[in-house]
Amino acid sequence: MTSALNLGAALPEIFLAVAGMALLMYGVFRKGDTTTSVGWMTVIAFIVAAIFVVTGETNQLVFGGSFITDSFSAFAKVLILAGGAFTLIMALQWLKAEKIARFEFCIIMLFATTGMLMMASANDLISFYLGLELQSLSAYVIAAFNRDNLRSTEAGLKYFVLGAVASGLLLYGMSMLYGFTGTTTFAGIAEVIGAGHAGTGVLVGLVFILAGLSFKVSAAPFHMWTPDVYEGAPTPVTAFFAIAPKVAALALMARVLMGPFYEMADQWQQVVWLVAALSMFIGGFAAITQTNIKRLMAYSSIGHVGYALIGLAVADEQGVRGMLIYLAIYLFMNVGTFAVILSMRFKGRATEQISDLSGLSKTHPVMALWLAIFMFSMAGIPPLAGFFGKLYVFLAAVQAELYGLAVIGVLTSVVAAFYYLRIIKVMYFDEPVEAFDRPSRATSAILGICGLFVTLFIVYPAPILAAASAAAASLFQMPG
Amino acid sequence: MGNGTLETAAPTEARSRNRFRDGGRWMGFASAVPPALVAAWLLSLLPRVSEGRPVLWAVDWAPTLGVSLAFRIDGLALLFGLLVSGIGVVIMLYAGSYLKGHVHLGRFFLYMTAFMFSMLGLVLADDAVALFVFWELTTVTSFLLIGFTHTDPKSRRNALQALLLTGGGGLALLAGLLLMGLESGTLRLSAMDPVLIQGSALLPGIIVLVLLGCFTKSAQFPFHFWLPNAMSAPTPVSAYLHSATMVKAGIYLLARLSPTLGGDPLWVWSLTVAGALTAVIGAAWALRQTDLKQMLAWTTVMALGALTLLLAGSAPISLAAAMTFLVVHALYKATLFMVVGILDHEAGTRERDKLAGLARAMPLTAAAAVLAAFSMGGFPPFLGFIGKELKYEGALALVAAPGVAAFGLVLASAGMVAVAGMIAIDPFFGRQRKSVSARPHDPPKSMLAGPLLLAGLGLAFGLAPGVISGPLVQPAVTSVLGGPATVKLALWHGINLPLVLSIATFTLGVLFYIFRTPVVAGLNAFVGRLPMTGERAYDGWLAGLKALAAWQTRILQGGHLRVYMATTLGAVVALTLFTLFWADALALPAAGSPSLSILGVTVAVTAAAGAAIVVTTRSRLAAIGALGIVGTAVAVLFLMHGAVDVATTQFLVETLVVVLLAAALVRLPRLTQTPRRNRRARLRDGILSVGAGLTVTLVMLAVLAEPFDRRVTDFFEAAAWPEAFGRNIVNVILVDFRALDTFGEIAVVAVAGMGAYALLKGGMAVPKQPIESLILRTATRGLAALLAVFAVFMLLRGHNDPGGGFIAGLIAATGFTLLALAHGVGLARQALGGAPRIVALSGLGIALLSGLAGALAGGAPFEGLWLFLGGDPAAGDKGIPLSTVLVFDIGVFLVVVGSVLAIVFGLEEEA
Repeated sequence: MTSALNLGAALPEIFLAVAGMALLMYGVFRKGDTTTSVGWMTVIAFIVAAIFVVTGETNQLVFGGSFITDSFSAFAKVLILAGGAFTLIMALQWLKAEKIARFEFCIIMLFATTGMLMMASANDLISFYLGLELQSLSAYVIAAFNRDNLRSTEAGLKYFVLGAVASGLLLYGMSMLYGFTGTTTFAGIAEVIGAGHAGTGVLVGLVFILAGLSFKVSAAPFHMWTPDVYEGAPTPVTAFFAIAPKVAALALMARVLMGPFYEMADQWQQVVWLVAALSMFIGGFAAITQTNIKRLMAYSSIGHVGYALIGLAVADEQGVRGMLIYLAIYLFMNVGTFAVILSMRFKGRATEQISDLSGLSKTHPVMALWLAIFMFSMAGIPPLAGFFGKLYVFLAAVQAELYGLAVIGVLTSVVAAFYYLRIIKVMYFDEPVEAFDRPSRATSAILGICGLFVTLFIVYPAPILAAASAAAASLFQMPG
Repeated sequence: MGNGTLETAAPTEARSRNRFRDGGRWMGFASAVPPALVAAWLLSLLPRVSEGRPVLWAVDWAPTLGVSLAFRIDGLALLFGLLVSGIGVVIMLYAGSYLKGHVHLGRFFLYMTAFMFSMLGLVLADDAVALFVFWELTTVTSFLLIGFTHTDPKSRRNALQALLLTGGGGLALLAGLLLMGLESGTLRLSAMDPVLIQGSALLPGIIVLVLLGCFTKSAQFPFHFWLPNAMSAPTPVSAYLHSATMVKAGIYLLARLSPTLGGDPLWVWSLTVAGALTAVIGAAWALRQTDLKQMLAWTTVMALGALTLLLAGSAPISLAAAMTFLVVHALYKATLFMVVGILDHEAGTRERDKLAGLARAMPLTAAAAVLAAFSMGGFPPFLGFIGKELKYEGALALVAAPGVAAFGLVLASAGMVAVAGMIAIDPFFGRQRKSVSARPHDPPKSMLAGPLLLAGLGLAFGLAPGVISGPLVQPAVTSVLGGPATVKLALWHGINLPLVLSIATFTLGVLFYIFRTPVVAGLNAFVGRLPMTGERAYDGWLAGLKALAAWQTRILQGGHLRVYMATTLGAVVALTLFTLFWADALALPAAGSPSLSILGVTVAVTAAAGAAIVVTTRSRLAAIGALGIVGTAVAVLFLMHGAVDVATTQFLVETLVVVLLAAALVRLPRLTQTPRRNRRARLRDGILSVGAGLTVTLVMLAVLAEPFDRRVTDFFEAAAWPEAFGRNIVNVILVDFRALDTFGEIAVVAVAGMGAYALLKGGMAVPKQPIESLILRTATRGLAALLAVFAVFMLLRGHNDPGGGFIAGLIAATGFTLLALAHGVGLARQALGGAPRIVALSGLGIALLSGLAGALAGGAPFEGLWLFLGGDPAAGDKGIPLSTVLVFDIGVFLVVVGSVLAIVFGLEEEA
């Protein structure tokens, strides 16, 4: 506890934690329903935190080296905060319509997001676990938030039990690492491994950590919870799960693999390769027969994680850059898609069946157009943003001569295209059933923003590319 | 064609009050302007390009990737660009009339225009990524066009099929193009060095990927079936897609990459075999159709096959044949499709056997049809004749199996002759059938102008081939060849082998036409016996996919938590073994392994027995008890290795957990039926357990084979006494070295305890009846007191000997828990002397104060302050130590007691 406590570097996290407690107090002591006001204040807190992230000092190593801020963490944090803000805004309307609006929902989202920010900055096994558990515990609660709903509670319980197993795996791996390297800091572990002291114990520890993290990003074969939880959880929660935690856990995975374990790349590359390939495979094949759109999105997210993991399997700067670009684009595609899913209501009753989208092009032409764009984009069809996401990771894979992975990626994209395109077919070519209710204004606005991003990315991709390049570069130069 | 989507022309015009009444033609004219401008611009470039000076234009697009938006207009690009834009003008005009009154007319022209510009971008692009982007854009926009009349479920299915096949092929193409870029160091198609690529080890992969893209797009065998299916598109779309665009994209790319990839045996043979098969299949299937439009679609397949076949070679004559035939085909195919559209429009059907004798009613249409059919059949003096002669000459100049190729082409062309007859003779001559609706007549000028013009061009170019050979075909051949070439087209080449083949073709074709009924019957019988067609393979593949997905859902994703757990554990085991195997890290400890002690074996057997009971018992309580045995055995193992503190903690946590779980389970309703599991599930679980056990054993052996890193232990052993005056490392770490962490942790424990208490309490507290047992009641009073005293003892000795606040807290909590179970919560509360929450909170406060004391005294927060009473330094005896560290440990003690009891009391009082 001797190193300087440079609190400024952790300002976004500290601000969010304090804001969370303050809003909790406000919600408890203020009379009446405070969900909306607490919700919007949480969104503002996210925005302020994002401003702190962007304007804050980078390349800081604080709390005894256990917390790091660099361009990489900043990139991930902005994505996480954006994902959190978007989903929370859409959630407010939805929760009210479902009559489960409670202000605690926003607070838990806020704490989950705080945990994710910590994950993006973790530079030590302890801070790694701390951030991860804050995120996970909050996630278990909001998965079961609709507690009078059997599916929601079952989802929460399943998520919790399997999540506990994953945390156990993580801790087991960490204790192995600590035992065999004698330190918990990433820099220290890197030193031991760099000096050639990495033995079987370290390797086994790494495998367990990878397994635990794979669970958190819902990569196959640790994806089993995903379809059930995505289907059972309240839809805005599903949207949240599909975005922010994945960004955080993938960022953490990148930092662990490219940091302390970079020297062992040829030993873990195979594991990541396998996990990526399996995820793409499951994400492509299993979704075909789904009739529930949330379940479909669960498989879709498994597949997308597989593509992002290609960037990690490559194990170089190009790969990480590809992964970051992929995640940024994935965020907008997914938020947009969920904006439509959240608008799927007949006379106040929410529906989740794909067949209910029939003839959407006639009843809600604009919504149908945007959803078609998102689906084309997810299928990786140019000139939409999703194509570029895939292009960058495939390029990185090809440059690193991981041809097998690139080929599997291409083949599974074709299979996955089948179900994305089926949705377009249903919307454009099937006869309309019944018109959905008018979506809320905030949701429509988010839909438009995401749609424009996905469509216009091709015109001006430079900012995202430059930021991702800088972020990837910063990951490969350890400060100090 | 759906009935509701069309309106018949003039007679119904009066009653049509549709506001789009004249909008169609107007929109058609407006949409024809952009392609006309493009065509004019391209024509203006003609002199420059034919001199061999390509037009270049480029801007940076994604510079980090080296991707730029680069266009390059050389001979090949110009030829295709002119076809795309020129035929585009005609089609737009035609469509304006054809679709007049359609409700989605605006959307149609939007799609068409978007499609046309994508196609132009595709043929003009010089950057591989830009080319791919346009390639996929044509796929998407054509998907929208094919599915435009979506009332028909078949049309929807076919649109999806076309999109899947061509889109999937496109992705393969992208992979191929990127590999080419990687090998040659540039994404500019024109700058790729053939030597580098031909010398690459990846060449076979590149060729396969590129061909997958081209063959799916251009409907080559075995992907040919999507194209006729895509006939559900409105006729102007089919006319455009088949004559000049979409399906020609694959041909274009084959030609474009020919200088780079051509010559390789894999390339040559793939193109030859696929092209020849496609041509023959296309011709044969065309004969079998009764729907004229379907028939035309299959002839397109034939033409594409012929083009592919010709592009296999690199002799100038083969390429010249390909380029010429391209023009021929575009002209007659667009015409014939539009004619069939007119027939459909006017006569209300496209069925071959329902149409006859229409020439009198619609003479101009018949003229266009006959002109185009002559070109299609390859009769002199039409351009089609020149094209066919060249085809034979080109085929004979091929590298791979020229004889077979020429024979295939003869067969296919004979089929074309027969088809030409069926399309141009059957509907227009002979006696008119009654089944034909209304009074057919020639359509308006805007619909007729196009077919007549294009068919007329087929004749004009045939008479004056020099018009296209010099300025158009020759530069295109030059581009494909990658070097200068001279092309001269002429009707008469003298008597040579191609002419003989031509005569054979006519004879065979006329025979096919005359005996069309038995020929078709024979073909149908043959097709019925085929074991597999592309269509069936596609359906089978889709069915397989769906079956796989369904299997996945049923077996792996059935919603059973147990299966999920099994999969997760199995995956961890597999990954661990895989990695160890991969890293070659499986090892056994060196010889001289520690000998087995009797105690060790006993403990291991005890643990195993406990595990066995857990698995086999039917009683939940017994299972929990047995689990406790396993935990205790593990604690003994810790003890044997000198980790007294860890062992003690393990003992206590184990005890407490068993007590808590038992208390909870006693309250649960009895299961009326013990869940029985089938043999397979048991077997699976058994294998998994044994696998996991073996893996852990292997890992342990491998890990033990290496020296243990003792640096951490050494540091703390060395530093514990001098810096923190303690000999118990675990305790020293907890209360001194990492006291801030510990403080954070006990805060979490306290919050968790209170949270659980709040949740369990819910509304009102109803104390439950204590467990009725005299022995328990009598024993616990004394035992609880003893435990309390023991706890204080453990707390105080903790810094130097096994013990400490955490362990002591657990001991005390166990005592109070026993009291609560035996005598009720009331007594336990009384004994505690305060609410558990308050105890936990005061503990937290005490710990915080002790930490602040360190800071106030000028040190870091949580730095220990020590005061020694009555020591004798000389004797090495420091005396009785008093320290803030002990205060901190007391805080830990209180937090643990309070939090655990908050949960226990809450459980016992739960409503």
